[in-house]
Amino acid sequence: MLGWTSLKWLLWISLYVIPVVFLPWAISRTWAHQHGKELHLKPQQMFRRGELGLPSLILASSVIWNLLQSGFTPHTAALGSVIMALSGMMAVTVWVETYCRQASGNDLRPERAWRDSRSLALLVFSMAAVLEILMDRVTRVVSQ
Amino acid sequence: MSAAAPALAKTPRQLAVVRLADASEAVAALSFGFGLLLIFFPVWFPQMIVRSWQRGQLMPIMMVFTLLLDTCLYLRVAYLQSAKPRPVAAACLGSLPLLVIGGLSLLLRSAVSHILLLDLPNLQARVGEEILAHTYLGLVSAVFLPFLVIRLLQQFKAANS
Repeated sequence: MLGWTSLKWLLWISLYVIPVVFLPWAISRTWAHQHGKELHLKPQQMFRRGELGLPSLILASSVIWNLLQSGFTPHTAALGSVIMALSGMMAVTVWVETYCRQASGNDLRPERAWRDSRSLALLVFSMAAVLEILMDRVTRVVSQ
Repeated sequence: MSAAAPALAKTPRQLAVVRLADASEAVAALSFGFGLLLIFFPVWFPQMIVRSWQRGQLMPIMMVFTLLLDTCLYLRVAYLQSAKPRPVAAACLGSLPLLVIGGLSLLLRSAVSHILLLDLPNLQARVGEEILAHTYLGLVSAVFLPFLVIRLLQQFKAANS
């Protein structure tokens, strides 16, 4: 049965999504209002340098921390941690690579950086959600 | 050779270049699907996975599924770029999903033995949760890791050329 306890991971994930996506958007709206400017920023404009990679890595670190404290065996916790770490590192690499390209005057492609960072952030967020559900389940089994 | 011959000659097709974003979207969709099944069928779905593991069907099914998914993803990338598939990439996609699932199967056996040795309460449910977690992580790794290896090989080749 679908219960509220099964959905608590949604609240946990939203704690990351709200500051990452909603807060910058709200601040940009406030800034535009204060300065009397007409600004309608979209996420692909705000995160065009692959900035989504940084919160992805932070989220991955948080999930790894939770995995290490979960009721899973060390084998499963290690496997989950390695995969989360790889995904987070790849997500942050997009941001660093785009910064390096820009700093060195190399061929900068914001649309590609946005697409890559968005896809990898989506991957990290979806993996974090499923792993939180699995950890929630194992915690209930262990506490029984 | 006449003047029109160079124009008529076939231009060699470029080799397909893989980006991690190509596989990431598919893995994210796979994760969301797995998560939704866990939320809406919290008893039936895990039981089905555990039963198929006990019958020895889970790993072959996962191998076939990930191999097909990886192949479809790579062919889609090649088709969208109008490029030719790379032989090394094809070899990676043909072997790595099987190796990853095979390796994780051994790791799962080791994890189950570890739980059985501890002699904890609610043993069967604990083993079921381990199998469920390994199934999910196995699916994700078998799709994501081959693309990661191909991407790293591409960068290594580009740096050396």
